Amino acid sequence: MDTNTAKSAIFDSIRRNLAESLPFDEIYNEHKVNRPQDEIIEIFDNSRSKSSLAEIFRENLRSIGANCEIVEDKSKAVSFIQTRINEKKLKKIAVSDAGLIGEIVGLLEFAGDFIRNASKEVLFETDLGITSAQFGIAETGTLVIESDKEFNRLASLVPPIHICVLEAEKIHQTLGEVLQELEKDLSRSVTFITGQSRTSDIELTLALGVHGPAELHVILIEKKI
Amino acid sequence: MNQQTSENFAQNARVALQDTTLRGALKNLAKTFGGRRKTAISSVENWEELREKARSIKDETLLHLDKYLEKFAENAEKAGAKIHWARDGKEACQIVLDLINTKNAVHVVKSKSMATEEIHLNHALENSGIEPVETDLGEWIIQLAEETPSHIVVPAIHKTKKQIAELFVEKVGIAPTEDVDVLTKTARNILRSKFAEAEIGISGVNFGVAETGTILILENEGNARLTTSLPKTHIAVMGIEKIIPKFTDLDVFLKLLPRSGTGQKLTTYQSLITGTKQNANGEGPEEVHIVLMDNGRSKMLAHPVTRQSLACIRCGACLNACPVYQQIGGHAYGSVYPGPIGAVITPQLVGIGKTKQLPYASSLCGACREVCPVKIDIPGLLLHLRAEITEGEANGKKSDSEAKGKFAESLAFKVYSIAWGNAGTYKFGTKTARFMQKAVAKNGKIGKVSNLMAKIAPPLGNWTEFRDAPTIAPKSFRDIWAEGLKEDLPANERE
Repeated sequence: MDTNTAKSAIFDSIRRNLAESLPFDEIYNEHKVNRPQDEIIEIFDNSRSKSSLAEIFRENLRSIGANCEIVEDKSKAVSFIQTRINEKKLKKIAVSDAGLIGEIVGLLEFAGDFIRNASKEVLFETDLGITSAQFGIAETGTLVIESDKEFNRLASLVPPIHICVLEAEKIHQTLGEVLQELEKDLSRSVTFITGQSRTSDIELTLALGVHGPAELHVILIEKKI
Repeated sequence: MNQQTSENFAQNARVALQDTTLRGALKNLAKTFGGRRKTAISSVENWEELREKARSIKDETLLHLDKYLEKFAENAEKAGAKIHWARDGKEACQIVLDLINTKNAVHVVKSKSMATEEIHLNHALENSGIEPVETDLGEWIIQLAEETPSHIVVPAIHKTKKQIAELFVEKVGIAPTEDVDVLTKTARNILRSKFAEAEIGISGVNFGVAETGTILILENEGNARLTTSLPKTHIAVMGIEKIIPKFTDLDVFLKLLPRSGTGQKLTTYQSLITGTKQNANGEGPEEVHIVLMDNGRSKMLAHPVTRQSLACIRCGACLNACPVYQQIGGHAYGSVYPGPIGAVITPQLVGIGKTKQLPYASSLCGACREVCPVKIDIPGLLLHLRAEITEGEANGKKSDSEAKGKFAESLAFKVYSIAWGNAGTYKFGTKTARFMQKAVAKNGKIGKVSNLMAKIAPPLGNWTEFRDAPTIAPKSFRDIWAEGLKEDLPANERE
């Protein structure tokens, strides 16, 4: 198919139809807003909140049924994960290449395999995925992972359990702020994660873990000053 | 297979009204999604401002769609995506099919996409021996049942748990169960094997960012992430109206769409994909193809009223709020897009000839306009389309008197559409009508009107044939307010 013919036909049609609309455009311009388009609209008045960003993040994530813990240091994160590994009798754990995750994995006692760069066949057999994230969004409880900053993002999706560890200082208040940060050096693929994989497709009944993890634990490391 | 057509809307609706199971499901939908939406937006301090901003972004984009489309295509290609252009659905299907054939692929997975439903892509692929597998749970159920979606967001809303369980027993051989978790697990396991072997992943697109060439896909299940990252080739099919100018514009739409659709602050996953991966060993497909499709959209740019249709972000809020949809469900509309937005989009996409009942499938109550996150004036659009229909009929009529009647009706719809759209003309209109109604009103009601009156005010004729119309109140609330009702309020509550 000649895609250039199709392209110019579409552009001709767009321009012709917009020209036809011109005489009517002045009558119906009620939504014409003359305001700087850059301005981000904040939807909550955050100045009143006395909670830290980590606490707001935790509250929002818990409200949709995922787990979130705020811990003081890396060793607490290690012991949290260690407990999960021991009680669940896991065999294969997929991990991302994030520096923090490497350090944590080095401190874990685990008889099975930690797998980096897993092929999709191997990924399907893992029973836990551990990743970090580049940003958190407090007002929604969202994790943001950028492809250029962290490899093996599928560890956050394919295994039935996902544990994410990140420093609390990476949490921003709003989605708008994070979009502005992301835009500065946009990765080819950016993933936002808010809670567990879910569906309501059968009689609007909530079911977790339909394609991704049914369990999500986010551990925020908040260094006390 | 579901064979209802838009041509038979009235009959379809009558049949649907007898279906108590369906009506139970729809009641549940309206209550659940309606309630969640209300809760989700009640905590937002400036919802109105957000809606207004979203609409102004969409209007700006649509008024310069050629410029933004060109920019989007250029930036996406710079990042390694391949752009394809399709004038209509047939061309879009052919492009997808050619891509699959070039790869000698046979295993295709799909994530939920209204654009591919619109062009009946699955059907086209099946005719060429390719069997794409829908991976969204609701879409997969519909595919197994050989039906069509009845809702934009929850496609299998018309099916009960029991029906779905029976379907799974028959098609995938599970033991009978009505445990939703078991049914969901079944889907997960079967679809995992489909993901493992898929060479091609097909998705839709929620937003395309002109300044970066990014496409964004929202979802809750994770199947779109799998579809766009496991197979070696990703094909995204998007309507040309999905463009927004700037990356940070996503902010306002990501605040509006999930809250309006499912009442969530954010859906579970957003994938923001800009071209192909930079590191050959990294995750993600080797090739990304974006099919930009017109299929009747550019025609809607020709008038500001119809152009609004292209601002739609497919949240489904108007379906959930519509008293007509709530009673009859999606299939009665006989089209891919049901409900209020379907009633305005379908006639424009497929032509008015076979769909002319759809713009009348509304009581013009305005609930759809109230909930629309991008402020589409759906009742205004319905009136505009009604005027077009009657105008077309007037031109086609043989006898002079019939044509005159149709012309009067068409004129009336146009007048209403203008009158209701502007406060000044509305005030003048109600004043005039208040005076005129003296001729026909009795005991505060307007009964069956004479032939003459029916001709002067055509809708009154049909309306009063079966029921009384209320008269216009002797004094408007606006007047009573102005005359002093305002003074009865505490000072701080007076506007």
